[in-house]
Order: sequence, then structure tokens, then C-alpha cells
Amino acid sequence: MQQQNPNDPKRATKIVRYKAQPAGGPGDDPTPDYMNLLGMIFSMCGLMMKLKWCAWVAVYCSFISFANSRTTDDTKQMLSSFMLSISAVVMSYLQNPQPMQPPW
Amino acid sequence: MKPVWFLLFALFCLSVSYAGSKKHDAFVEDNDFAEFEEFEDEEDGAVNDESDDEIQEPVKQPVESEEMPEFDDEQEEEDDDPMSDDEFEHLHDEEEFENFDREKDAPKGKSPDKLPDLQMAKVPLHLRTSWDSFYLEMLMIAGLTVYFLNFLAGKNKNCKLATAWLSAHKELLETQFSIVGDDGVAKEVTSGVLMKESENVYTLWCSGRTCVEGMLVELKLLKRQDLINLLLRVFKPASDQVIVKVDLDDGKMDNFVFCVAQKRSAAKLHKDMNDLSQFTERKSSEKFDMPASYQLLSEVGEATSAILDKKVCQMLTKHEGVIEYIHISDQFSGPKVQEDTQPTKMPDTKACLMFCFTIPGKGKTRASDMENLKPLLQLVFYCVDKVSRLQLSREARMKAEKNRQKAEEMFLKAAHTQRQELAQQRREERKRAEKERLMAEEDPDRARKLEDRENRRESKKKQPKMKMMKIKAM
Repeated sequence: MQQQNPNDPKRATKIVRYKAQPAGGPGDDPTPDYMNLLGMIFSMCGLMMKLKWCAWVAVYCSFISFANSRTTDDTKQMLSSFMLSISAVVMSYLQNPQPMQPPW
Repeated sequence: MKPVWFLLFALFCLSVSYAGSKKHDAFVEDNDFAEFEEFEDEEDGAVNDESDDEIQEPVKQPVESEEMPEFDDEQEEEDDDPMSDDEFEHLHDEEEFENFDREKDAPKGKSPDKLPDLQMAKVPLHLRTSWDSFYLEMLMIAGLTVYFLNFLAGKNKNCKLATAWLSAHKELLETQFSIVGDDGVAKEVTSGVLMKESENVYTLWCSGRTCVEGMLVELKLLKRQDLINLLLRVFKPASDQVIVKVDLDDGKMDNFVFCVAQKRSAAKLHKDMNDLSQFTERKSSEKFDMPASYQLLSEVGEATSAILDKKVCQMLTKHEGVIEYIHISDQFSGPKVQEDTQPTKMPDTKACLMFCFTIPGKGKTRASDMENLKPLLQLVFYCVDKVSRLQLSREARMKAEKNRQKAEEMFLKAAHTQRQELAQQRREERKRAEKERLMAEEDPDRARKLEDRENRRESKKKQPKMKMMKIKAM
């Protein structure tokens, strides 16, 4: 293994290519998945029960999910979560254009 | 002509007061038949409109809210209609039909031909009154905007920090590795690529060095792009981290597991890491010249004292808050998997060194701070060379070997009992299914037959032992 210059630690013959770690390992940040799920639930609540605040929370969830997503994540899933939450907002205001009532 | 003037004046007063009293939607329409719709609906909301041929009709459009009956106003307005005769009669008929007696109270008259002066502005009432009530929606949109702006700003800041780290260390890395920054995707080996795992995690792969297969540097920056995380950090401060993982070549390292870590993370590592929980135990760090905030986890004492030499201890003292942990292991297999899923085969182990450095400043890292981290990377290379050169004594090696065998035996035992449990479960399942079939059988003859067969099989199972004994006895 020792080459001409023993003080030089570089070995051009020993190059190993980078292998990407498989996604879903224990070290992965679970936030985007949770937020995606939460966003889905809130969108459904917003759509089915016509709760406007649920629809808004769903939009926030999809934003947080987007901000925390991994680059290897599926962009389609992100997009669908966005579309679902935004459509929940639009639908709830189409059905009832009254402003949202504050909870207090 | 006088009553006409009177009527016009009354109409003007009414329309002004009416328009003022209405707080809801009103649409204006030239539809001649609108008045019939309106009478049928009996809904409120009206704005006057004058047509060019000086015919004025109060026209109403049904709106969403059905409360606020304002019949008096409507009627009075309609009374005052200066319409052509037949139209007026229609109106009159309608009123009679509706049985409105109060109309007689209203003053009667004819309006003159000066109607264009009375044109009312078409005020979109719902717009004027409602935008204020949408303040919650505006708050939501403002929140989303702030979140998005913070996302852009945080993303940029993280990107800047990562590139600052790379430019500060690139020179040093290039003296040690043939290739710095390979993305593993391109066909040819690339260099200088800092991979972005997410907006706050950047990785750098270096390879081509003696004794080392590769080195993965992971810059775990704070989630500056996430406003929620930013706010949470007010209560729970955190810092940027640099995690360096060096994969050693096979056989370049003697068997031992060692870890020195800040007390707060030592407990967690000891619990979570497969190799640390299996092989190491807590040792007192008193005999080494290092700060008391560090906890020592070691398997072989000889290796521990060899690694914690003067230089390493000095570094630990100098960068007390910065060095989070140094984890050296020939059995590294990552963190433990969930308890409920017992693995059926030994986890793949690898000789590797892990270093975790916390960038000081409690999250207020500046790009210029990255220069100060250079000595830490030098420490990494120092440790790599030291570990690869380290030769343990015969006894120490024997001890480590024994530990590994014991661990393997324990694992096999656990796997065996698990397998047995599984087999037992399967057997019981089969028995239950058999019984259910027996119970479900309707024909008593067949059921008895099945039961007999079952019994015979059971007794057959027991028989061979007896037979053997008999043969022995003979």
C-alpha cells in the first residue's frame, strides 16, 4: 500500500464512489411525513365538514412539509398535498363566502 | 302637476333613507319583470334606478340573507312609482293581491321629468362593508407570506454557511483525499460537489486516502428555512452541527469500541447505538486530563489510553463545547432499530470513526466562523492515522474477541428463541383451524370420523416412544 511518498496520504487508486444512503433510515427527519399526513387530514376536514380554519391549517401544513422536505422526496406528493389543501380553502369559501368566525 | 312634484320629493327622501339603511347586497337591474320576482320572494334589498326614458322602478334582487323585513319602505317606494298607467296598474294589482293595506297611508303624487338628477351611485355594499370582517383570512395570508419569505431567507443563509464551510476546508481536504466532493450520480468521478440532502442538510463525500475507504461530512444546519422551528428554538436553543464519518478499510483497525462524549449526549448514544450498548461501559475519565463535562464509554482500557493521548486531551480541553462526541468502533452498525422488530440476522458491522462537532454561537453562526473549525478536521485525520496504526496487546485482543463472540452467541440465542416462538405460534394456529373445521362440520357421521382420525393421529404421535421402550425391553 505504501507508495513513493509515504508522507502523502492520498491514494488515487483507492477512490470509492459515493453511495447514497437509502431513504427512510432511522436518522431521517420525520417532520415532512407527519406534516404531509396532518395536511391531508386537515384538508379532508376542511372539505367534508366545511371548516375553514381546517383548510387554512392544511395550507400551513403543506408549507411546512415543503420547507422540510428532502431533495430526494417525491415532488408529486408535495404538489398533490398543496393542491388538496388549496382546493379545501377554495371550496369552503365557494360554498360559504362569509368570513371565518374567530374562535373567541 | 303639484302631486307629481310631491311624489318625486317623497321618492327622493325615501330612496336616500333606504339606500342608507341597507347594509347588505343590492343589485340594480332594468328588468321590467323584476318587481314580480321580488314580490314573490318577499325579500329585501333594493336600490333605485332610473332608466333613460325617465321611468323609474325600484328593483330588487334576492340576496342571501333573508332577515330584516323592510316591507314598509318597499311599498312606499312602489307607491311612488311614476310609471306609465298600465304598469302602475300592474303594481297596484299586485299589492292588492298581497293584501297590503298600509299603502294608503303613503302620500301619492306624480314625479316630474327631472329624473336624471336622482341617479344613485351603484355602491357595491358587500365590498365596502365586508373587507374588514375578513381580517382572519388576511392574517392567514400574511402568515403564509412571512413563512415563505423566511423560507427563502433561511435557505439562502444555510446555503451560504455550507459553501463557507467547504471553501474554508477544501484546501485541507485536498491534501488528504484524491477526490473531494463526489456526488455518486455522474458517470465520471466528480469533485467539488456539496450535495444538498434537504434545505438544512448538506453532505460532502471524500475518497482516495490511505487506510480510508471514504469520508462523509454531513453539515446538519439548523432549520432556518422553517419559521416554526425558528420560533421553537427561542425556547429550546440548538446549534449547527458537523458530523464526520470515516469508513476505514477492512482489517485496518484492531477490535475495540470507544467513545468519548459530552455527558448529555453520552447517555443517549449509550442507549441508542448498537455497538456502544453492547460492548462498552461507562468509565471514569479522572485519570485522563480532560474536562469533566465529558463521559467515557470504553471496551478495552488499553485502546482508550492509547487514543486519549496528550494531543487529543488538549483538543478536548480547548474545544470543550465544540466537540460533541468522538466514537471509534470496529462494530459500528448505526442506531438500534425498533424494539418490536427483532432482526433475524446480525447487523452488518463496519469499522468507522464518527465525530460530531457543534458549531459554537448557539445558532447565530456566521460564515466567518467556519475558519475556526479547521483544527477539528485536523483532529479527525490525526485520529484516523492513530487508530489505523494502533496495535493492541495479545490480552486486549483476546478480550475483545471474547466480547464479540459473546455478543454473537447472545444474538443467536435471541434469534433462536424468537424462531421457536414463531413456530409455536404457527402450530397453535394450525390446531385451532383444525378444531374449527371439526366444529363447522354438519354431518355428525363425518364429524365423528374426523374426530377419530384426529385422535388416532394424536395417539400415533405418542406411540413411537412406547415401541422403542418395548424393543429395548426385549
